[in-house]
Amino acid sequence: MPPLTPPVAALPSRAAVPLTTVPVGATATLHEVRDAASRPVLKSLGLTDACVLRLCKVGDPCIVLVRSTRIGISRDVAQTLYVVTHADDAR
Amino acid sequence: MSTAVASPAPAPSAVSTRRVALIGNPNTGKTTLFNALSGARAKTSNFPGTTTAVRTGRAEATNGRRAFEVLDLPGVYDLDLDLPESRIAATVLDGSRGTTPDAVVAIVDACNLPRNLVLVGQLLTRGVRVALALNMADLAQKRGIAIDVTGLAAALGVPVVPIVARTGQGLPALRQVVDELPEARLPSPGTPPPPPGADMTAWADAVATAVTKETAPAGRHDRRTERVDAFLTHPVYGLLAFALTMGALFWVLFALATVPMDLIEATFAQLGTLVERVLPPGPVRDLVSQGIVGGIAGTVVFLPQICLLFFLITLLEDTGYLARAAFVMDRWLSRFGLPGHAFVPLLTSHACALPGIMSTRLIPDQRDRLATILVAPFMSCSARLPVYVLLTTLLFADRPAAAGLAFAGCYLLGALAALFTAKIFGSTILKGRARPMILELPSYKMPSLRNALLTARDQALAFLSTAGTVIVAICIVMWWLSAYPKVDPPPQAVELRAAAEAPGVDPARAETLAAEAAGLEARASQAGSFAGRIGHFVAPVFEPLGFDWQLTVGVLTSFLAREVFVSTMSVLAAGQPETDVTDGVVASMRAMTRDDGRPVFAPATAASALVFFVLAMQCLPTLTVTRRETGTVKYAALQLGYMSTLAWVAAFLLHQGLRAAGVA
Repeated sequence: MPPLTPPVAALPSRAAVPLTTVPVGATATLHEVRDAASRPVLKSLGLTDACVLRLCKVGDPCIVLVRSTRIGISRDVAQTLYVVTHADDAR
Repeated sequence: MSTAVASPAPAPSAVSTRRVALIGNPNTGKTTLFNALSGARAKTSNFPGTTTAVRTGRAEATNGRRAFEVLDLPGVYDLDLDLPESRIAATVLDGSRGTTPDAVVAIVDACNLPRNLVLVGQLLTRGVRVALALNMADLAQKRGIAIDVTGLAAALGVPVVPIVARTGQGLPALRQVVDELPEARLPSPGTPPPPPGADMTAWADAVATAVTKETAPAGRHDRRTERVDAFLTHPVYGLLAFALTMGALFWVLFALATVPMDLIEATFAQLGTLVERVLPPGPVRDLVSQGIVGGIAGTVVFLPQICLLFFLITLLEDTGYLARAAFVMDRWLSRFGLPGHAFVPLLTSHACALPGIMSTRLIPDQRDRLATILVAPFMSCSARLPVYVLLTTLLFADRPAAAGLAFAGCYLLGALAALFTAKIFGSTILKGRARPMILELPSYKMPSLRNALLTARDQALAFLSTAGTVIVAICIVMWWLSAYPKVDPPPQAVELRAAAEAPGVDPARAETLAAEAAGLEARASQAGSFAGRIGHFVAPVFEPLGFDWQLTVGVLTSFLAREVFVSTMSVLAAGQPETDVTDGVVASMRAMTRDDGRPVFAPATAASALVFFVLAMQCLPTLTVTRRETGTVKYAALQLGYMSTLAWVAAFLLHQGLRAAGVA
């Protein structure tokens, strides 16, 4: 019988969704950045593969909290960020 | 928190200078630390071969035996990123330009250790001798973040000094550590960073987790920040807050800068008079009093606005607001192919395009930066103000409300021209969209007055050294073109002088006659000068806009600096070079006539001249700065060609349209 709350890194069952569709206050794990041009800048700001982030504001810009850094991301980029929400935070 | 220092070797007794590089992520207080270390002795210059500014300063070790040359590297997140700042920092650290530092101080935000440690890890893998300045230790404590400084020093194998750069706390300890660092025997890191290419973030996370203890939930602070962020980046409220902030900024700028500007003008006017009294009449006296003193006055007069603008912008930046404002503007500017970052340069250009173009250095993307540089001179700078005042007053003599509207319309026309030009360039020579913005939103905090003052001083010096020399040289050339060759006084002036000097003439009458003669002589001198002759020669180009040869001379002389238009036209109208738009100046210009007797400033002509001055690139210093900042003459030529053509076409259409509508 599979565990009820498997580790995020092994979460094929929970679909990755664009960051812009995640509710405010939710915690999520970064799954994929589809905008290749933005990847290096996001990485340098701490948005690395499988990092945990908290969505502080949706809209333009999206504001996320990553490792105690608040990062503003324009909507065009935010919708290319695919995340997997954590079960206990998804509302 | 206490200082943790690796055991140093005894410092040598000889007095020497060491090169210390300061590196850190943006928003970590690096500039504040630099200012605290080197204070008023800093200077800003371009890094060799680039357009990125690097500041250097001098500091002393605590024992007074050693001086440091402190090099303030640009803020970087990652040394391997393909950005100018990262490349410069990496070049300095690798010593490829002969600039190898003896020691490196990595400034780290204590509230944001995991992300900041990525850069530290990269420094360690490069084998750099580094000391860690753990800044904002007070803020971290307030937020319940406790960092085990000794543990961090042991994990990294480098000295770690907690500091508060804003108050100077911990700086003596940091100076001592830096002094001893080059000879210090550093222990091996307890948690060595991974080799280049491996996951530095995971290593930084692991080190930070091991040495950090969060003693209190940071919830309340975060919630407050979130509420303020939601307001300031809101599509409606954010725009409102932006409009109010910028309105206040401009009000302060224009209200406060007027006093020193008037004072500077008055001082230089007196200086010119003094020179005329001291030196014997002749070309040398004219060169000094009108060319050199006038040229320096024309440069220095802009300093109050430039200093005040940079002072206010630095204060705003320190509070953390500018990052939020950049997002508010990004929503609007991105539709025209400009990035949100462009709003500071565009705002600055309202004082003067020179510092505006220089401040485009903060735009990370090269295409976005070029687009901003190309459109910045459309913003109505303070040099256009006297021209706007003169022409709107001539257009709407008895209707101050209409004149005010026309005045505001000039600002709007300039801004719209900038936006649509950016759009046109974005689909032609600078194809592509502005890079969507991704920006760290720094914590809100009280701004530092000291930082703002030092930044204003730096910018003023940069303006004087880069643009000032060009403007002074231009003013001297312009004076020469307007003053030579000397022409004989016209017969009418000779007659008037003779009448004034005739015996028995009433002294008051003699003074009036002499003044009239002087006016006629100045007008003849202007017409016969090289500038006047060129005006006659070029007049057919401007004829379709309704300009006669006199207006053409005004346009040509003001090509070097717009405000010269008023003084040139006042010379042509009354023989007196006036720079202030007084009632007398307006009346004499309204009375100006063409060779065929029609007024020079007929309504249709005044309107087309106004539009021409809003849009034309009438500023040679701006072109020199564009050439320098873009590294090629191509973009300066494009700016000149595009703006001049647009100005000519718009003025032509307006003039012809008004004529067709029955306006003379």
